[in-house]
Amino acid sequence: MSPELAFLQALNGISFGALLFILAAGLSLIFGMMDVVNLAHGAFYMLGAYVALSVVRTTGSFWVALVAVPLALGALGLVVEPLLLRRLRGRHLDQVLITVGVALVITDLIRLKPDWGAEVRTLPPPDALAGSIAILGNDYPVYRLFVIAFGVTLALSLAALHRRSRAGALIRAGVDDAQMLSALGVDTDRLFAVTYATGAALAGLAGVVAAPVLGLQPGMDVEALVLSLIVVVVGGLGTLGGAQVGAALVGPADTFGKVFVPQFALFFIFAIMALVLLLRPSGLLGRIRVIR
Amino acid sequence: MSRIGGLRPHVGGLRPPAPGFVALGLGALALVTFPYWSRDWESSRYATTVLRDILVFAILALSLDLLMGYVGLPSLGHAAFFGAGAYAAAIASQRLETEALFVTLPAGVLVATALALGIGLFAVRASGIFFLMLTLAFAQMVFSFAFQATDITGGSNGFAGVRRPDLFGISFSAAEELYVLVAVSFLATAFVLWRITRSPYGRTLVAIRENERRMRALGYDTSAIKLSAFALAGALAGLAGALSAYSLRFVSANDAGIGTSITVFVMVLIGGAGTLAGPAVGAAVVILIERVLNSYIPFSQTVLGVVFVVFVLAARQGVVGAARTAWARARG
Repeated sequence: MSPELAFLQALNGISFGALLFILAAGLSLIFGMMDVVNLAHGAFYMLGAYVALSVVRTTGSFWVALVAVPLALGALGLVVEPLLLRRLRGRHLDQVLITVGVALVITDLIRLKPDWGAEVRTLPPPDALAGSIAILGNDYPVYRLFVIAFGVTLALSLAALHRRSRAGALIRAGVDDAQMLSALGVDTDRLFAVTYATGAALAGLAGVVAAPVLGLQPGMDVEALVLSLIVVVVGGLGTLGGAQVGAALVGPADTFGKVFVPQFALFFIFAIMALVLLLRPSGLLGRIRVIR
Repeated sequence: MSRIGGLRPHVGGLRPPAPGFVALGLGALALVTFPYWSRDWESSRYATTVLRDILVFAILALSLDLLMGYVGLPSLGHAAFFGAGAYAAAIASQRLETEALFVTLPAGVLVATALALGIGLFAVRASGIFFLMLTLAFAQMVFSFAFQATDITGGSNGFAGVRRPDLFGISFSAAEELYVLVAVSFLATAFVLWRITRSPYGRTLVAIRENERRMRALGYDTSAIKLSAFALAGALAGLAGALSAYSLRFVSANDAGIGTSITVFVMVLIGGAGTLAGPAVGAAVVILIERVLNSYIPFSQTVLGVVFVVFVLAARQGVVGAARTAWARARG
């Protein structure tokens, strides 16, 4: 592989990693805070992409979708958490079952809605980012560079919020010991609902940003769910840094895996996951041990 | 999750068989011979097909229940072994150009067992929700392989034209005969698991679920024991997979996919984990919803999703657990 091509593939990998970060951050947040493995995360991501499709069709603006979709998914999260998850605290299998139930309903409704449907759809990038620019003598899509910039900006601002804001302090405290937080007078019911809504909003945001790159098709929910699980397991569960590191590793690994061993690209990232689990059972930056 | 019911001390000795056992034997006989005594019904053929598919999934659900209900390992990747068994039986039959049951069935079971040993090596070192995530992720790898390795598995088109087996001149190519093979396999699986769960080994599994740390302190190699249960469950899932390949004459990559994993997971929970009847009941409920409802309304998957939600919120012990509670209450 020529150095130029390797550089372009590296850019592809980084932009895929940026997408994975947006996707996995929500899953990691919900897990770290609420101790819930949200198996509806992939369905939220898919719903985000399809809602974006409808928003762009009606308003004609990608930017409206970029704002409206996270709000819509956040609202959905605000309904789902108190209605279904709140009474299941600590009951892991029941949570799994109920989030799977939610995911089944969402994906079935997407399949049945005629203008969303069961076929492959595309969402063009906004006009301002539609073209490509020359990098090292090759045309490279501008939108992918935007994805990198967007993902990095989001990661930096989330990290700043996480460290400096009151909400971030509450989240860090909640991840450490939600019971203690409740005893100190924080309304954890409200905090959990907002956490779940934020996670859902991030999944929806990932859906919007990913749609022009990855397209919209049946099965995208499961792919997104599995990739984000791998990212958080590799990076470390329940920490923002874990999602960042995991995404930064899995994104390029997946891209280069597809270049070198197209048939077995998935083995590549699973091999990384297995290796990380063997050497660091709590993930690269996590504190919760996944295996003994 | 419901506790294990019916862990009564095993009473041996020379006594005439209890009425319960006679009834059970007659029930088993009726189950195996269903296509023959229902032959005059108008919908006998359709009923036989549906019942056959229920029994295939009941085997799969029983094998998962060994992990979920007894060892306390909730696997969300059990379809990997089902799919592996189905593909291995189909491919062995195609490559070796044989229909011999004693070649293709062991091929399915062995490949599934080997795969379960490989994945289990990692997975059983995790527990609870981490186990669930790892099995889900590893199973998705198997699915992707099946989906992408077109020259071996047929890829996204699936593997069509699986040959039905024969055994020493007895052919299972007709629908009735194949049904008998499936029903006998189901009964054998149920019997084996019934013996296992009541054996010292089975109690070790339950003890690991209840307090693994203590079992380790007592000198049990809990990882090895859990791995053995994982491999056993994988082997039985492979059996179910091979039977599914014979039944449908087709293997799809989705057989190894998360959809199948979720379906069987839900069958166990709906029927009641930790019981032997539960997974079979769960398999019947889910297959009936999917099959029968699907031919009347387009949104059967939504109904299934709502059923999960209702079950979680209302009937936590599953159908069998709820029936037991009601029975106990009725007897006072």
